Amino acid sequence: MEVGRICIKIAGRDANKKCVIVDELDKGFVMIDGETRRRKCNVNHIEPTETVIEITKGADHAVIVAEFSKMGIELVDKKSKPKTERPKRQKKADKKPAKVAKKKVVKEAPKKEVKKAEPKVEEKVEKPQPM
Amino acid sequence: MVEGKKKSRSLKRTVRKTPSGKVKTHYKRRKPSAAKCAECKEELQGISRLRSAKLRNLPKCKRTVARPFGGNLCTSCTRNLIKQKAR
Repeated sequence: MEVGRICIKIAGRDANKKCVIVDELDKGFVMIDGETRRRKCNVNHIEPTETVIEITKGADHAVIVAEFSKMGIELVDKKSKPKTERPKRQKKADKKPAKVAKKKVVKEAPKKEVKKAEPKVEEKVEKPQPM
Repeated sequence: MVEGKKKSRSLKRTVRKTPSGKVKTHYKRRKPSAAKCAECKEELQGISRLRSAKLRNLPKCKRTVARPFGGNLCTSCTRNLIKQKAR
């Protein structure tokens, strides 16, 4: 287990994906990057392969993307969604005027329907005239 | 005469005490056998034990495990399989 050794992850949701050892951390733990997420990983959860690539200790993700593309593996970076602000809860005092405003909208709506009904009656009256 | 389905043991029986004090037997469908690893036949973890129709209504995370061969092979068997492929 040295820096640059290509491994295959065995455990977890990233299992069966190739990765490179970027850094050696505490005893039994390494930093990996590649097809998997860049993360700390237990040595027991990776299977080393024969190939070793030349990278410096703690290499950037961009370097590893370039190295993997040489091997014929294109890494796709998933972009995280932009954070959307959650609607904040309003205090009870603020809520009450909001409810009143809603009621006003409801009252307006039926008035419009009545207006629509009137022109229809007029149209019906118009139709018989040309006949 | 008791219904035929109640006489057979295909339904699970539970004895309940009703609010009035009577003792009644309730009949329920039995749980299906738990999902098992295809290779070692060990019971799989993290997969809810329900009939397939009810299983469909559950979210995906309760039906499978987020791992290749999840919900089909156990952890140790998947590890061995991936190791064999790597070598």
